[in-house]
Amino acid sequence: MESIKIFVKAKCPRCPAAKEIGIELEKEGVPVFHYDLDTLDGLAEASFYSVLSTPTFIIEDEEERELASWRGMVPTLQEIKQYLSLGR
Amino acid sequence: MSNVIGIKEERKNLKVGDSTLRQEFETTDMALFVRTSEESMNDWNRQRIVDALIRETYIDAGTAKEIAKEVEDLIFSSKIKMITAPLIRELVNTKLIERGLEQARKMHTRLGMPLYDVDQLILHPNKENANVPHGPEATNLTLAERIKKEYALLSVFSQETADAHMRGDIHLHDLGFVDRPYCSGQSLEYIKRFGLSLPNSIAMAKPAKHPEVLLAHMVKFAAALQSNFAGAIGWDSVNLFFAPYLVGMSDRDLEQLAQMMIFEFSQQAVARGGQAIFTDLNLYWEVPKHFENVPAIGPGGVTTGKNYSDYLRESQRFAWALFNVYLDGDGSGRPFFFPKPLVHITEKFFQTPGHFDFLHHICEVASEKGNTYFVLDRGETAKISECCRLSFKLEQSDLEDAKEPWKMRYCALQNVTLNLPRIAYLAKGEDTRLFAHLTEFIEIAVKAHLEKKAFIEKLLSIGERGPLALLAMNRDGSPYLRMHRVSYLIGMVGLNEMVQIHTGQEMHQSKQAFKFGLKVIAHMKLLVDKMSERYGMHFVLEQTPAESTAYRFAKLDLRYHSPQSGHIVKGDLSKGEVYYTNSTYLNNSAVLNPIERVRQEGLFHPLIEAGALTHIWLGEAKPSKTSLANFVIKTFRQTQNDQIAFSPEFTTCNACNRTSRGLRSICSYCGSKEVDGITRITGYFTKLSSWNKGKLGELRNRYRNQAYLQTKEGDTVLMAG
Repeated sequence: MESIKIFVKAKCPRCPAAKEIGIELEKEGVPVFHYDLDTLDGLAEASFYSVLSTPTFIIEDEEERELASWRGMVPTLQEIKQYLSLGR
Repeated sequence: MSNVIGIKEERKNLKVGDSTLRQEFETTDMALFVRTSEESMNDWNRQRIVDALIRETYIDAGTAKEIAKEVEDLIFSSKIKMITAPLIRELVNTKLIERGLEQARKMHTRLGMPLYDVDQLILHPNKENANVPHGPEATNLTLAERIKKEYALLSVFSQETADAHMRGDIHLHDLGFVDRPYCSGQSLEYIKRFGLSLPNSIAMAKPAKHPEVLLAHMVKFAAALQSNFAGAIGWDSVNLFFAPYLVGMSDRDLEQLAQMMIFEFSQQAVARGGQAIFTDLNLYWEVPKHFENVPAIGPGGVTTGKNYSDYLRESQRFAWALFNVYLDGDGSGRPFFFPKPLVHITEKFFQTPGHFDFLHHICEVASEKGNTYFVLDRGETAKISECCRLSFKLEQSDLEDAKEPWKMRYCALQNVTLNLPRIAYLAKGEDTRLFAHLTEFIEIAVKAHLEKKAFIEKLLSIGERGPLALLAMNRDGSPYLRMHRVSYLIGMVGLNEMVQIHTGQEMHQSKQAFKFGLKVIAHMKLLVDKMSERYGMHFVLEQTPAESTAYRFAKLDLRYHSPQSGHIVKGDLSKGEVYYTNSTYLNNSAVLNPIERVRQEGLFHPLIEAGALTHIWLGEAKPSKTSLANFVIKTFRQTQNDQIAFSPEFTTCNACNRTSRGLRSICSYCGSKEVDGITRITGYFTKLSSWNKGKLGELRNRYRNQAYLQTKEGDTVLMAG
């Protein structure tokens, strides 16, 4: 099953909307991992995925291969669901 | 100052232990004489010990007199024929220690070197810095450095900081240059506008009217700066700022000027210790955005009435000419070690006509001679590169300064490097302990920066009459060294070995190990940001070049953390050629696709604000310029890597003066064994004969990408995928 990584920061105007989308997806049973770039684990993970702007969404398959990403922007739920088995 | 004391012949008959006799003599009666450093003979005078103790320490006069008397008795009872001043001082020091006056003993310390060490130093080359040649001037430099190093550890830094350095928890770089900042970046606009008017100089030169004179000013100013900074002297947008002087110049004259510039900076006939000036020339194919609408300064230091965007053609012609010179190499066909050309690759580079040909031109140089550094400035970031891998990202205030480019002068005050493997040994596999020790080491590094800052500020406060007159000179409303814009570097060595000790795997061996490496650097990044906020100073992470530090840390850990460290350090233990992997690099010997190495190492680069670099070792291969250009483009587009350099290897013959490809023990032209290898030691080319053992160990281990260099239609191609 796919999972979603969402990267946010405290001083980021579009991040609250990104977090809300994450909560929506969680409600639908999608595994969502939240990373805050102001924290150690968040910054380390963001570095690994070359996340240079927030918010960033990365969808991965079960083998952690990247299926899609949105960097520095908030996608719609529909855009995300295209890549999820749940949404099909 | 007392130097040597001789005891007159008659004193041989002095009955030692005869207290009556001793009491009869007052110091003025004693038939001793003292050879002073002023090359005169003075009579023995016990009071000199008292005076020195009162002047140099805080002890009371009574104790000082007691000590002087005891030392005098000791000397006269010893029957020795000759005694040195350092020994007298040490005798006084033992008396201070006997009384528990440790602080006074420290203040009374004499700095200097044993005779044997000086003898060795004069006879044998210094291998701490491969850029220091061997000769009388270099010996002077090393001798001065030794004393200043001791002075720094005793007097500039606190005991806690000094001990951390001595133990090898941290490394305080360039202690021998403790009374100077670390490195600097400047603009030619300063000397174009103000001429060459240096404090303490016997002649003042008005702004240059001709390109050759501007070049002369640049070289002289660089030499003056080398005397005031420990490390690199960087110059921003050199080809662009020369451009207003180059209008109407023929190709031949332009090439001649380019040749003069490179030879002037490459020949070791300059001021400090016979060292070539560690010079970086930052070059652009385009007119950088922040200079487009800036009024150009031309001959005589006056504005030409045009903006820099009007000088694109001259700027490009000069950049091209410089690389023609690099392509030819020096008189023996060797690559120029200095000045280093750093070409900035930006989005605008790719939008500027002719970029394709220029990229191939500089890639040809990279393949033939290795000189080119590709600085990859993505997005809107503008950077100035200073040292091997030290760059400054221009912030809003810098972009304001760009309107008056002579203000664009930057400095890193000091570099302190952390021994990361040491932290892992101490942590014994526990994450909490590892991050706690890492924090502790960073706190010591910050303390060291505060101490160095206080010392430099003290020197600067004396202004143009002080030792840092050049940096205090004020020609435009602020001192040349703008302390409020200074950066403080915190570097690292051996991330790979730290991860190996802590997780059992090296960073290239598993995703988990690699991610742990990122976590360590992320912790460092977050902490230095916090420290910056707390102290109002600009602390930044840097990839330490670690020319000797990687060797020093490995040796110290073999002493303090054996047997574990014996399985961790890289290199050849039996030969003593040991080292830790530099900074955040992956293991040098790991067989990795070069573009994958560039990508993975590049993941660390956004965390390392002061700049980073990945080397692509080529060995004796000479890949086609097209394949290197493709590699550069792919690196720019598909990775986060800040800077790359391709490093070929050469053998130069001292008998026939010819240079061939690859590292060989005999000359491939004349068969002579009088050969020397040349390749990059860290961020610059140099001869192998000057390398320390640690770097030689690393050289033997370097993976030269053989499996990724393929021959296609007669060309060698570096695979970029």
